[in-house]
Amino acid sequence: MPDIAQHAWLIPLLPILAAAGIALTYLFTNNRGEHGERFTARVALGAGSLSLLLVLLIDAMALLNGTAPGQIHLAQWLSSGAYSIHISFTLDILGLVMMTLVSVIALITLRFSVNYMHRESGFQRFFMILCLFTSAMLLIVIGGSPAMVFVGWELAGVSSYLLIGYALERPTATNNATRAFVTNRIGDAGFILGLFLALYWVGDLEWPTLLSAASDLSTLDSGLLALGFLIAALVKSAQVPFAPWIARALEGPTPSSAVFYGSLMVHAGVYLVIRLEPLLEQTPIIMALMVFIGLLTALYGYLVSLVQTDVNSTLMFSTMAQVGLMFLTCGLGLFELATIHLVIHAIWRAYQFLSSPSHMHLMSRPTRPVPNWLAQQRWLYTAALNRFWLDPLGDWLLTQSSKDLAQELQAFDDRVIVPLVGLPARANAVTSLADWESQKRGFSRLAEGDVGHGQGVAGKLMEGIASLLHWFEEHLVLKGGGEGLVNTIQRVGARLQKVEELLSQPRYLLLLIMATFAVII
Amino acid sequence: MQEQPAATQETDMRERLRHALAHFEHVLPGQAPIKDFVHHNTLHGFQHLEFTQALAEAERITGARGFLPLERFREFYKQGRIVREDLEQAMHDTTGFEPDAVIHAGIAGTLSRRDVLIAALLHPIKKLTGCQLNWQIEEMQVLTRFQSDVDSASRRRLMESAARQGLNNESEAIADLWSACLQALGLEFNMLHPEELMDLSPEQVEQILSQFGAGDEPAAGAHVVIRKQVAKALDQLLQRVGPELTLRGLLLRLTGKDLLEDIRPLIIRHLANHLDQGMAAWHAKDRPLGFYTSWRQSAALDLTGLFADLPEWLEEITILDEDPMETVISELQRLQLPEDRWEQYLERLALELPGWSGMFYWHHSHPGYKGFENIPVDMVDYLAVRLVLDRLFAQQLCRQQWQVAPSLDMLRWHFRRHRSEFMVRDYLNNQHLPEYLASQAQRLVNQTVALADNYQHWERLADMIWTWRHSPSADLPEGHSVYSHGWKLFRLSQHLGLSGEEIRCLSSTQVESLFNCLDQLTPDKAAFLWLQAYEHHYREQIFNAIVNNEGRGQWKQREQRPAAQIVWCMDDREEAIRRHLEAINPQIETFGAAAHYNVPHNWRGLDDQEITGLCPVVMVPSHEIKETPKPANEALAHEHGQRHKRRLWLKNLIHQETRRNLLASTAIMLLAAPASLAVLIAKALTPLGLSNLSNRLRERYEMQVPTDISLTAAPDAPEGTIEHNRLGFSLEEQTDRIETFLQNIGLVDGFSRLPIIMGHGSSSENNPHRAAYDCGACSGRHSGPNARILAAIGNRPEVREELRKRAIDIPGDCWFVGAFHNTCNEQIDWLDLDRIPATHRQELSDIRSNIDQACHLSAHERCRKFFSAPKHPDQNQALTHIQGRSWDFSQARPELGHATNACAVIGRRSITQGAFFDRRAFLISYDPTKDPSGAIIERLLLANGPVGAGISLEYYFSTVNNEEYGCGTKVLHNITGLFGVMEGASSDLRTGLPRQMIEIHEAMRLQVLVEAKIDLLTEIYMRQPPLQELVGKGWLLLSAKDPDSERIDVFYPDKGWVRWTGQVSLLPIVKHSVDWYAGHMDPLTPVLLQQPEVTSHA
Repeated sequence: MPDIAQHAWLIPLLPILAAAGIALTYLFTNNRGEHGERFTARVALGAGSLSLLLVLLIDAMALLNGTAPGQIHLAQWLSSGAYSIHISFTLDILGLVMMTLVSVIALITLRFSVNYMHRESGFQRFFMILCLFTSAMLLIVIGGSPAMVFVGWELAGVSSYLLIGYALERPTATNNATRAFVTNRIGDAGFILGLFLALYWVGDLEWPTLLSAASDLSTLDSGLLALGFLIAALVKSAQVPFAPWIARALEGPTPSSAVFYGSLMVHAGVYLVIRLEPLLEQTPIIMALMVFIGLLTALYGYLVSLVQTDVNSTLMFSTMAQVGLMFLTCGLGLFELATIHLVIHAIWRAYQFLSSPSHMHLMSRPTRPVPNWLAQQRWLYTAALNRFWLDPLGDWLLTQSSKDLAQELQAFDDRVIVPLVGLPARANAVTSLADWESQKRGFSRLAEGDVGHGQGVAGKLMEGIASLLHWFEEHLVLKGGGEGLVNTIQRVGARLQKVEELLSQPRYLLLLIMATFAVII
Repeated sequence: MQEQPAATQETDMRERLRHALAHFEHVLPGQAPIKDFVHHNTLHGFQHLEFTQALAEAERITGARGFLPLERFREFYKQGRIVREDLEQAMHDTTGFEPDAVIHAGIAGTLSRRDVLIAALLHPIKKLTGCQLNWQIEEMQVLTRFQSDVDSASRRRLMESAARQGLNNESEAIADLWSACLQALGLEFNMLHPEELMDLSPEQVEQILSQFGAGDEPAAGAHVVIRKQVAKALDQLLQRVGPELTLRGLLLRLTGKDLLEDIRPLIIRHLANHLDQGMAAWHAKDRPLGFYTSWRQSAALDLTGLFADLPEWLEEITILDEDPMETVISELQRLQLPEDRWEQYLERLALELPGWSGMFYWHHSHPGYKGFENIPVDMVDYLAVRLVLDRLFAQQLCRQQWQVAPSLDMLRWHFRRHRSEFMVRDYLNNQHLPEYLASQAQRLVNQTVALADNYQHWERLADMIWTWRHSPSADLPEGHSVYSHGWKLFRLSQHLGLSGEEIRCLSSTQVESLFNCLDQLTPDKAAFLWLQAYEHHYREQIFNAIVNNEGRGQWKQREQRPAAQIVWCMDDREEAIRRHLEAINPQIETFGAAAHYNVPHNWRGLDDQEITGLCPVVMVPSHEIKETPKPANEALAHEHGQRHKRRLWLKNLIHQETRRNLLASTAIMLLAAPASLAVLIAKALTPLGLSNLSNRLRERYEMQVPTDISLTAAPDAPEGTIEHNRLGFSLEEQTDRIETFLQNIGLVDGFSRLPIIMGHGSSSENNPHRAAYDCGACSGRHSGPNARILAAIGNRPEVREELRKRAIDIPGDCWFVGAFHNTCNEQIDWLDLDRIPATHRQELSDIRSNIDQACHLSAHERCRKFFSAPKHPDQNQALTHIQGRSWDFSQARPELGHATNACAVIGRRSITQGAFFDRRAFLISYDPTKDPSGAIIERLLLANGPVGAGISLEYYFSTVNNEEYGCGTKVLHNITGLFGVMEGASSDLRTGLPRQMIEIHEAMRLQVLVEAKIDLLTEIYMRQPPLQELVGKGWLLLSAKDPDSERIDVFYPDKGWVRWTGQVSLLPIVKHSVDWYAGHMDPLTPVLLQQPEVTSHA
């Protein structure tokens, strides 16, 4: 009997092929609008079903054999010196459970979307992204090494970005998508740090090797390694203080909210932590940190969910609270309990999010009010209503400064790059009536000493030479004395001062430090 | 003049502002909380105006357009939903168009205004900019080729005419036409070089400079002129604050930053929490003190200011006055807005978040709404909070940008000193600047204050923008130019098939009258002509069918006793099932009536804790009807009640407690785990199977309890009032109600043995707007109880005795039965079956099987409109599909509601029976032969007119502008506070109908056809202002069918009754409806159905 587990690579591949198929037929054939819906739905559901079938077969084999297939090695991906990265899958019990969960829920959501998304202009786009996401989640849960997981991790990030911004015409949706994406980059940095350290210290990235080698690492080393991955997990699972991005993610269609923030992606971080159990157990500090953050998030999610008035937000924050509990359980070392909690919670939230449009009719009475002692806490209420101000705080610290950075890069572009490259400046014609008039009256409104406009490097060069000569004439020859020279020196001094001012701002300092690191590495 | 004491002045101001609030009713959406959704005219507040005026006024105030885009109408024209005759008729019916006036009588036929108007309606004839014309000439070769949208007849005509002057090919003919057009207008055209489009040549510059009188004031240069004009623009802009802009709007125009982006999430949290009907577990402690106070208490602890660069936040909140009105006044004073614009300002402010403002205002004007007995909702609170937040955030923005306070005076002061900056900002944010200017402007605006020390950059850019404004590439508004008149004439001539020679023949007055036609077709006028044509097309089909059907329909008189009589709701959705039922058993007579069935009451079902009013929204019942267990079933009922409570408890535990708690949620989920995956899979794969199973389980667990209703009031019970309902109706009340009802539908004699009263409702999953699908006559609830009550009244011997005294003789062998039709899943529930006498059982069971078959056929007919339904289903497949939809939680279109409504027929069934009306007609039974005084028809028009108008107009507006009058796609909806839907988690509340409900709707006004004498109708019209409003102002279209002949008259508000002289053409006759609709998804024209041979016809 052939070993079916060897074909595990098909599990994540099938949905991604479906995504590609939908995208290609959308681009090149007439898979558009209402008439393309059947084809699109069939391709997506077909791939999802086949993938699930394969998952169930592997599950059945494992049950029959009484043992999970374990690590499946497929091919070498890249190698460099002593380091090599493989394409491999981890089909241990955790992997089997998670892939079953993911493929079942993904398939149900796809099925749900066929009716739900009917006649939406983004039907094909939606199915393509959902397939992409399914594939990403499957890669995360059965990827054989953090490198494989990272591929899924990024793909999931991208597809969530695309789905939050599903309603392209709504600025709120696209803004929030960008915010979520930017926040997730922090997690990616953590993941990359983890990957880098693992490669550096252990050399082999395959989960079993990596995790067993963890016991040989010093506490500090394993702590640092674990921290990298933990940051990634905390961001993906929207734990405090990274929580706000997920509340902003509620802009997509209902089924996407169900899989992303209710049921699957929000648990990806927990899965990663469970996967890292042997490593984490080495590092009590990280475990303690998980307890702390998990507890904080659970309380945060719980309190905030109590004041939410819209069904999506209330579900979202209670989901967050439960995920916080999972981190808490992991931190206490109860990884198996966390796994059970994860699976049950994922199924339950999938159901709850998918039925959120009918939530109003499922309620036969108002939600039970909070106990009186809590209801009296004015400050706590205000804090909960404002989500403990995490959003403006994060805004203040992170988003705003990256925006400013971008703006200044633009200024740099305009002032340095564009003149250097010599993009067409506008010349030869009258651009301003007032200028024309002034010129006719015999004086220029432009700065004195302007001799004309050149274009491109060569033009600028000529212009520069001309100006220089002009300047020389004007300041040194005509005016005589030293005023001109003094002015020049003053101007240079002012420029330098500006650079210094800029450097005193934290983001430039950060940029500088990063640049230094880059040079050292 | 004596100064008024300050105190009185202030009281006056308070009065004035209070008074201004009342006007909000006209401009804010009036939608109730979504559970109490009832269709109403979206522009209810403008209903006192003429239809077109109302649309224009609403567009002026809210910016929302009330017509379909012209392109959509042109599509309908292509599809044949509108034809040329319809347009001509519409023009003929509208004064001022004078379609018959001849513009030019030439060699080859005459050119009338009609030709020009129709060409302009069918094709967009708009002016171009210089760039666009260049592109058209170079890329589309428009000067040598016909425009692609010119039809072949016009092409042929033009070529023939050109041939007469010796131009034999297309390019010559078109080129000649172009030069003829320019000649006729005295214009010259030179192709502009691309650079010339962007900038000015020295010659142009000289010309422009001389234009604005630099010569008069030698010292003043162009720059000075610019400064003067900018000052004027600044004053104009500041004048608009109040009537058109708020502070936020002003700053948006100046900086491009929308303060509402920051404010909206903040204020929505508080608003939603204050208005919440039970979604949240935790509400503000100070909620009973009103929104303003509650917000103020909370905001005083809010740290938002800390992070939003608003260090003064806490201090500012603490010193706010306790009285919201005081705050409103002081905020407006701080803004330094002249007092005469305060009312306008507040209205404008409310319109910035119309959904939320509307919901708040709804509560404001409906105090004591269920659950809000102790929670005051006052619009002043809301406005005060908005004003404070606006000012705080504006403070931050203005400080950051200009270091001034956010008041009109300060801004005026600043920009008077920085006029160039004002001009650049104004153009950047409100006009389409070309990219080279926009990017420079953006850069200046983005500069932080420290870097912007160089003011001459602003000046220079302002000059450049000014210059660009005078270059040919800018869209110049004025002038007789090539791009405007020349181009329009050129395009028009092609569509009219006029050659160059013919254009040259036109005198200048004739050319002017061509343009006159074009100018007359403003977008509003054109759209209204199209709408009238669209309506006309449909009307002709309906009238044609009715004339064709004359004398064919059954039950004009009841010569033979019907086997049964079934009263359905007047609902358009019941048209199909009635038609099928009559085909299955021609012995059955059907009626239509508003399904409150004239028994308005508060219903308390067996399991209900609270009463529900089952009557139209405008009524408040003074009677309660209670469902009670039958005698000897008390123990069973008790057990049932316990189990019912337990089931609800479990349901709550599962659905609500899992999102409310922390640890308890985990525990519940763990316990529910074994079932949840199975349920989820079953729900996704076989929704119908799962619901059948769960319904069976529920019924078995809860046990059925046979019940009675407390129909008859105790003899000594005091008169019922709104506050203290009387339990049951008195004998006299019962008699009155049934008498009126029977008179309304014209059933006062010829009773069958089985009159059946059929209530209706709809049940579906995934449908926040579910109430919109239920019985509108019962305020969006199920009207089953009404049917049950009326049937019970009809069966009481005492009532029949009284009725006999009033000349309605219900025979002794007649038994009324109540039933309930679910329009979503076509299920029929029969009520009080156990009381039916043995003598009627067999007959009823025959009728039930007829109705069952009709349900199958109705389901079959409905399948044709659903994309996901099987294409050629048999009857069982169709019913299974329809039932599956109603239980499918992924189905965003469980049924299509009133989406196909288009007309209403008030009259005997014989007018419409025997023809296919495609589920598009409200059918209201009325017998003109039994109403000589017109009292009944007056009643019916007054009661049903607003209902029909409400439904049809809500569909109309949600369809023509789903983004602004409707609520967009359901896919993004997020139920908020149990009272509305948002898109995502922080948007405005969306009102109106979702796209899924209206996508197949044909947006036109309701055609109401009444079977009555026109003199009678005129009398009623003259004495009834509500009808003068609805019909006279054009919100409904009224026609009358003569009861004795096939004559039809159409009512025109300006002309009165005009006899219909439309074309009558023979209609095909099909055997069954299915023969006509099978395989079609689109709306179908009426057709005649083969009438069965009724043996009894003497």
